[in-house]
Amino acid sequence: MSEESRPKSIQLIITRQDGPDAPPYKETFEVPYRPNMNVISALMAIRRNPVTAGGKKTSPPQWEMNCLEEVCGACSMVINGRPRQACTALIDKLEKPIRLEPMGTFPIVRDLIVDRSRMFDALKQVKAWIPIDGTYDLGPGPRMAESKRQWAYELSKCMTCGVCLEACPNVNSKSDFMGPAPLSQVRLFNAHPTGAMNKAERLHAIMGPGGIAGCGNSQNCVQVCPKGIPLTTSIAVLNRATVGQSFRDFFGSDNM
Amino acid sequence: MEDHEYGLHRLHSLLGVIPIGLFLIVHLTVNYQATKGADAFNHAASAMESLPYLLFLELIMIYLPILFHAVFGVYIAFTAKNNVGNFSFFRNWMFVFQRFSGLFLVIFLAWHLWQTRIAMALGTPLNYELMVHALSNPGIVIFYLVGILCAVYHFSNGLWAFCVHWGILVSPKSQRIGTYVSLVIFVLLSYVGIRALFAFI
Amino acid sequence: MGKGKIIIVGGGLAGLMSAIKAAEAGVEVDLFSVVPVKRSHSVCAQGGINGAVNTKGEGDSPWEHLDDTIYGGDFLANQPPVKAMCEAAPGIIHLLDRMGVMFNRTPEGLLDFRQFGGTKYHRTAYAGATTGQQLLYALDEQVRRQEVNGLVHKHEYEEFLSAVIDDDKVCHGIVVQDLKSMEIQVYRADAVIVASGGLGMIYGKSTNSMINTGSAAGELYQQGAYFANGEFIQIHPTAIPGEDKLRLMSESARGEGGRLWTYKNGKPWYFLEEMYPAYGNLVPRDVATRAIFDICVNQHLGINGENMVYLDLSHKDPHELDVKLGGIIDIYEKFVGEDPHKVPMKVFPAVHYSMGGLWVDFDQMTNIKGLFACGECDYQYHGANRLGANSLLSAIYGGMVAGPNAVRYLKGLDKSSEEESSALFDDAREREKERYRRITEMDGDENAYVLHKELGEWMTKYVTVVRENKTLLATDQHIQELMERYKHININDTSKWSNSGASFTRQLWNMMELARVITLGAYNRNESRGAHYKPEFPERNDEDWLKTTKAKYNPDTNGPDFEYEPVDISLIKPRKRDYTHDK
Repeated sequence: MSEESRPKSIQLIITRQDGPDAPPYKETFEVPYRPNMNVISALMAIRRNPVTAGGKKTSPPQWEMNCLEEVCGACSMVINGRPRQACTALIDKLEKPIRLEPMGTFPIVRDLIVDRSRMFDALKQVKAWIPIDGTYDLGPGPRMAESKRQWAYELSKCMTCGVCLEACPNVNSKSDFMGPAPLSQVRLFNAHPTGAMNKAERLHAIMGPGGIAGCGNSQNCVQVCPKGIPLTTSIAVLNRATVGQSFRDFFGSDNM
Repeated sequence: MEDHEYGLHRLHSLLGVIPIGLFLIVHLTVNYQATKGADAFNHAASAMESLPYLLFLELIMIYLPILFHAVFGVYIAFTAKNNVGNFSFFRNWMFVFQRFSGLFLVIFLAWHLWQTRIAMALGTPLNYELMVHALSNPGIVIFYLVGILCAVYHFSNGLWAFCVHWGILVSPKSQRIGTYVSLVIFVLLSYVGIRALFAFI
Repeated sequence: MGKGKIIIVGGGLAGLMSAIKAAEAGVEVDLFSVVPVKRSHSVCAQGGINGAVNTKGEGDSPWEHLDDTIYGGDFLANQPPVKAMCEAAPGIIHLLDRMGVMFNRTPEGLLDFRQFGGTKYHRTAYAGATTGQQLLYALDEQVRRQEVNGLVHKHEYEEFLSAVIDDDKVCHGIVVQDLKSMEIQVYRADAVIVASGGLGMIYGKSTNSMINTGSAAGELYQQGAYFANGEFIQIHPTAIPGEDKLRLMSESARGEGGRLWTYKNGKPWYFLEEMYPAYGNLVPRDVATRAIFDICVNQHLGINGENMVYLDLSHKDPHELDVKLGGIIDIYEKFVGEDPHKVPMKVFPAVHYSMGGLWVDFDQMTNIKGLFACGECDYQYHGANRLGANSLLSAIYGGMVAGPNAVRYLKGLDKSSEEESSALFDDAREREKERYRRITEMDGDENAYVLHKELGEWMTKYVTVVRENKTLLATDQHIQELMERYKHININDTSKWSNSGASFTRQLWNMMELARVITLGAYNRNESRGAHYKPEFPERNDEDWLKTTKAKYNPDTNGPDFEYEPVDISLIKPRKRDYTHDK
């Protein structure tokens, strides 16, 4: 951008809410422009001078953030209509005025802060872990082909940010669908040589309430995932695995 | 219902293809005979009507599956919060169309059934004349046109979804090619359906 | 007494590991964290974790690892715990592998290892360039499993305010505040493990996450815990300058063949390769940082005269870069908008890690009985400078030591915390309630975030790479002025619900207290050692300064008193640290 075309200041319209049951309202802020700004640094500027564009003193907007490198998953919010991480949302690349809203799929705590605990509960429900015997030294782990490791690693980058749930039309207050993120974790743990020993348990978990049946294949999740996780492929793999599992359950298998 | 949700969803998806999807193809094929004249259509239609155990077959192969597919489908459609406004991706549009076409089909099929099968049960012979008469109203023509397109869309896109839900199409590449195939099916069946429709006008 | 109960403050690698260990011993754990533990700062570690597994036929061993670590830390670390850590390292890597960490593999399906700074061996296991994230997730999953088992109770979005300490200097619990309801509560425990992480936020902008305020450690220091070696702050040589933070470009970039250079006389100058032929680009961080700083600030040879040099990976195979360094390549592309496969990255040093921290004994217990510390908030394993990829190791190992030792400690108690008089706990809670009430009533004309920015600017300017006694003293003066101005903060937000401004204001005070510990510790130490460099005293001085700094809070002066303690050098005799040739 050339010197002259740079704006002097940028406008942000923030949807605010004082508490879980309070009514939402909008406030407009104006912050001085600086090169290479992201949404977080704009919010930080507001926090240092919490005055609206109309000159009214107000409380600084509340939001979540932590690593600012897009690995912690904290700063998800809806920016110009799209859920994403605020840290990677560069001001120069956004349409102005910038609209910031909380991710409405989740219960609002305050302003841009939402309660994503349902995602962590879902991880419990699908048993997203390797059931190791203990943390004492039991020698090396199982071998694994590097090629398999590479795709499994992509799945393991999920930071539970909630963007995929926000984009999914089937995750809402009318359904108990757990959403794409925890499903993909089932694929990850079922792919691990030790995790595979408890494959059936995890498949049964996602064949239960809130599980994979809730997916309607709108495939928004894979489009919005900030880590580029192949969520719809994971779900398709699990579709095949659960169909196989239900056949084994019904008709019986070798170990029956 | 909670505990059986997985089974019900998969059954819903399966019934949409077998038998409902198959029936749709047979039905459109019979209708297509109308393009060869009234006699050809009447002949094909009466061949269907002369199948043994007709009512039983209809009940098991058509009415009950459609009834379940419709009721569960409406439930599915109403649990979604459509969001193509912010997420106007191709698949999301297909997702929304699938739900709207399904809802429209519930109304359309109720009407269609009333006008044809129930009328037949009440003594009106189901033949070329009946349809010509029904379609003399341009409003009804549009209603049928939309109904046929919805049915064909709902089937071809549903066939793709069936292949994904049943774990047949897994890789992104196979899903993409599956989409192309479903589009071809949509175009071909639409041609068959619409030509048959205009044969009655 | 009954089975006992342990409180853990912090849900990063150290906190989670100690939680798993305690739960495995059958002890119930209350785990407190200001964020969901999966978002802890451990996610930011990129390059890898060290362990002498010796799979490359190089003859590596835990002893070599020990020697590299002690030498890299300029002999300031007590050697026995470092030795124990290096010996445990291969087992820790195998454990993580068994937990399902997707470490990069060799063609045979074995763990792959890469080279890092300050060593000649391929000793660093890695999962792309997001190793910290992967390790944290593995431990997070195991803790979740213990949660389902009913042994771990997570309290996320609850902030540690202070420890409950009796007159005999024994810790019996903590006071916390719920960051949503802002309610203040007291929890009893027979042992408390603090794993609250680093303090980079004292420097305003650093490679650290926003929660790394050091507030918990700062509070404990004010409650009488020793803070050791505070003046040793690691400045990472390669980070991307930014408006909101300085983003780390992992040392693994150099471990995988990345080269640092700038233009000199119109030609690329690979300065580290020229200055340190033996280690080249893989000199330890303090050495690389001083070189870059000197080239940019003193010689004015930075790119276009600015404070930046090139970190170049563009000569490497693009696919290999994606597999081994994908995470940091993404970060650079997303935040700078240039493709490191094709063009060299522009980097400059940034505050990264605190070698110092709460003083602990070899069992990870602080000078307050029943209060343990582990992870970056302790001072144990890195001496005057930390080697790359030793932080993940020390965090996990510290947790492995603290957890079982806390269990052993509480088994030896003859009275449970449940039997302590409730007056002790009620007083502690009321004290915090009163403090918080005073914060919420602050209605002056200063802004806490503005004061913080100023603190960070001073600390970054005068207490980082090059330290001079005159400006160190001036900085301490300025911090005290900020402490005066602190009293005139306007809280701006009177909400009684989810009020992060009030929490930050409380943290800011603790940051300033620790800033003084860092600054005055640096002022006192008249030598150069590891990350602490004073041009006035350019040499290491073992005779006077081979000792641990211990800062003790003096309530009368509202500042630190310093004591010094000899370093345990029973295993390796100190020798001159010189990376121009092999050690």
